[in-house]
Amino acid sequence: MTLLALSWPDFLSPGRLWVLFVPLLLLGLYLVLLRRKSKQGMRYTNTSILQAVVPAQSQWLRHVTVGLVLLSLVFLAFAWARPLGRDEVPRERATVVIILDCSYSMEATDVSPSRFDVAKTEAGHFLDALPDGFNVAVVEMSGNSSLILPPTEDRNAARRAINGAETAPSTDVAGALDAARQAIEMAPQGEDGERVPAMVILLSDASGTTAPTSPKQAAGQLANLGVPIYPIVFGTDYGYVDIANDEGQTQRYPVAPDHAFFEDLASITDGQSYNADNASQAQKAYDAIESDVGYVEVDREITAWTAGIAAIFAAVAAVGAVMLGTRWR
Amino acid sequence: MSRATAPVPPAPVTAAQSVIAEPVGPTLPLHELAPEAALRRLELTIVRRLEGYLQGEHLGLLPGPGSDLNEAREYVPGQDDVRRMDWSVTARTTIPHVRDMVADRELEVWALLDVTPSMNWGTGGVTKRDLGIAAIATIGFLSQQVGDRFGGLIMRPSGLRQIPARSGRMALYGLLRSMLTEPIVPDETHGRMDLPQGIDQMTRLQRRRGLRLVVSDFLTPGDIELDPQVEPVWERPLRRLAVRNQVICVETIDRHEVDFPDVGEILIRDPETSFERYVNTSDDDARVRMNAAAAAQRERIRVALRRAGCAHIQLRTDRDWVQDIARFVLSYRRLAGSLHQPPRGVGR
Repeated sequence: MTLLALSWPDFLSPGRLWVLFVPLLLLGLYLVLLRRKSKQGMRYTNTSILQAVVPAQSQWLRHVTVGLVLLSLVFLAFAWARPLGRDEVPRERATVVIILDCSYSMEATDVSPSRFDVAKTEAGHFLDALPDGFNVAVVEMSGNSSLILPPTEDRNAARRAINGAETAPSTDVAGALDAARQAIEMAPQGEDGERVPAMVILLSDASGTTAPTSPKQAAGQLANLGVPIYPIVFGTDYGYVDIANDEGQTQRYPVAPDHAFFEDLASITDGQSYNADNASQAQKAYDAIESDVGYVEVDREITAWTAGIAAIFAAVAAVGAVMLGTRWR
Repeated sequence: MSRATAPVPPAPVTAAQSVIAEPVGPTLPLHELAPEAALRRLELTIVRRLEGYLQGEHLGLLPGPGSDLNEAREYVPGQDDVRRMDWSVTARTTIPHVRDMVADRELEVWALLDVTPSMNWGTGGVTKRDLGIAAIATIGFLSQQVGDRFGGLIMRPSGLRQIPARSGRMALYGLLRSMLTEPIVPDETHGRMDLPQGIDQMTRLQRRRGLRLVVSDFLTPGDIELDPQVEPVWERPLRRLAVRNQVICVETIDRHEVDFPDVGEILIRDPETSFERYVNTSDDDARVRMNAAAAAQRERIRVALRRAGCAHIQLRTDRDWVQDIARFVLSYRRLAGSLHQPPRGVGR
């Protein structure tokens, strides 16, 4: 919940905020009377002795008490206007498309044991953590990207689809995003007839090699549907992969991840890109994504909270009033 | 012994208002300062018993033609008038003697009136300033002799105002009237003049020996010293003034300056300084401490005045000043001689 102090809250009945003029009026009256009182007072001639004999009484208590009373009134006025706070509630339903990069570059072992294995393992953990009502689709991204699992609530099927993925040559990010879009359109609609919210999780390491359509264009189409892309980029800048060519010789290719490209994708679709140099970073990325996709922010009335703060201020002000009343200093 | 019984003047409304704000004018009318009829009685009543000091002869420094006899000396033919011959001494000594005369010197009295804002205060019917004017009036009438002259100095923060010395009752009334009508000094007026400077100025301005009155409350703003051994700032100027003059200090105080009032929690302001403080005057401990400190402060003033060789009259706004001055004058007859011992090397 966002604290009231951090931002001006929205109100359900903002028209009632006119009562705020009462504490404002009182504050003005207090300042004016303070100023005027300093003109009044008793004249006394022997103040040099008085100064030495009678210690100065601090005036902070009365100012603090008045301030607390006024603050309490302000919060009561807020409470009457029924303020709204932000609250996170778990999503009931959503579609999550996991795009698993199956290109050869994922076999690089700069992320132990290998980029592909870490991606698979952490995707499995992620599946376990997803709420039950979520649909999961899996897209295999390679030279020929295809939807290997249509949206389903069956976690075992999803786990099997991920674990069964094999590496293949080439990468077609645009094709994979198109397949994800199809999967989202395929997903069952919610009870109110509206499309359930969806998001794409892109487990990859590099931009595409073959690209019939621009990946950014495909991402734009997803953005039109309101679907964010959360790329998790595997690998380090020093990653390499050995690939056997047709003549039986192994050839070494550097496969540094293309962070800028995935950050572009994320920003086009209002998502967030994560880097995963090792297994624990991948875990953290999943946790972050899960809190993004698993919860939705809603407005909630926080009248009780506001009234409670007003009550605390009033209680402390009452202590001050008792101290003043009994001259307890 | 008959006591002075001047009626206590009725309290005008304005005096008590000085607690809230500076007074707008005098709190005593001129005819109540020193009511003529009462003072005439007072003169008669007291003068007879006081022959000597204030009303008596004023010894001159030099011999000269006058009306009082001094001492006999041998007759110098051709120089002395035979009509001055002192036959009694001539007969006893068989040598011609003449009687010298002592010149009658008129007494010159100067009164310094402190009118700084702290004097514009009083709860007992008159303000301290008007009480001081009344004291000047009373002493002025007491010391009225033919030829005696009375002058006034009004000490405002901006400077001294001098009222020339003149002789006679009407001149004294004129002096009192101009003191009463002197504009009230507004609160928190800052100027270069203070009591030590005022006394010094009086010493410098009036070179003729005589009687000097210093009328003030002798309070120094910001002075928190209570030890009588420590000199107040005005003590040294007073001592200088007392070298050649006979000095009577009139200390005007108010009842509530020595008896701190119980008026609840209140903002207390000083008329002269920017002091402002909320004080819980209902706090008994604070009041007791305050009264003890004020008593010590007055004791310090008394000791300092005594050390400076000045006579000291303490007048209170809630008491009859005429009676207090009469009582002072009675005891002064005995004390004056020892009190006003001149410093070594200075003639009497």
